[in-house]
Amino acid sequence: MEKQLEDLKAIREMMEKSSKFLSLSGLSGVMAGITAILGAAYAYFFILGEHIAVAKILLILDAIIVLFISISFGIYFSWKKARKSNQKLFNKVTLRILYNLSIPLFVGGILSGIFISRGEMEIVASITLIFYGLALVNASKYTIDEIHYLGITEIILGLAAAIFLYNGIIFWTIGFGVCHIIYGLIMYKKYDLK
Amino acid sequence: MANIIANLNKAFESRIRLGIMSVLMVNESADFGTIKDLLELTDGNLASHLKALEGSDYIECSKQFIGRKPNTKYTITALGRQSFQEHLNALANLIR
Repeated sequence: MEKQLEDLKAIREMMEKSSKFLSLSGLSGVMAGITAILGAAYAYFFILGEHIAVAKILLILDAIIVLFISISFGIYFSWKKARKSNQKLFNKVTLRILYNLSIPLFVGGILSGIFISRGEMEIVASITLIFYGLALVNASKYTIDEIHYLGITEIILGLAAAIFLYNGIIFWTIGFGVCHIIYGLIMYKKYDLK
Repeated sequence: MANIIANLNKAFESRIRLGIMSVLMVNESADFGTIKDLLELTDGNLASHLKALEGSDYIECSKQFIGRKPNTKYTITALGRQSFQEHLNALANLIR
């Protein structure tokens, strides 16, 4: 009896481990959220008053810095978690996830670039939220379930940002800031504290 | 009771073989190195279990070259999938 139960547990664990990226740390989400809020606050208080030509460049720089810091924290915390559970950070599953994330992200990035170059900044918050959400939904089958719901949330916020076009920065801050922190804490509590 | 136990497949008795079959159930294919890392095994140990499963036609392997390095890829056969599923059901029935 005991052995059969152990067998079933081992089978389930191996199926999950071999097909899902489980080293994703909740702390990555929390840090990404904090970074996004700081970036948005900087944009709101210092950039939006600038002349449009200057604002464009500063906004893109701001976004790139936020993205860079978030990804760095993401890799750092995942690397730490992978090491703790004695796993490799980069394996077949990681590559599969990155591939599935990258397609919507690249399309969204390019589309945002096109609109920014036309000076239509209002729609960018909506586009980044929607495509980021689609990327998460797309990659979520290879990782923990929470990512799927985070993705759906981002998509809904993105659509709302398109409806309330001139309040984009609020939705952007909720989507990339608050949601990341909330989901990050949920994930941290559920998976990391074990 | 005897009948239920008879459904347990002897070929899957070892934990290592359970691991190999589990990996191949949920992945289209897996190469030797990936399985080795997942199960944390030595080359020789893994190879002997793979050979046994291959002998029962539960898995099949295909060799290819990635650049100059030989790469052995394993996939589960239809028979393997069915047998493993039956084994899983038998396990589940036993603990019920």
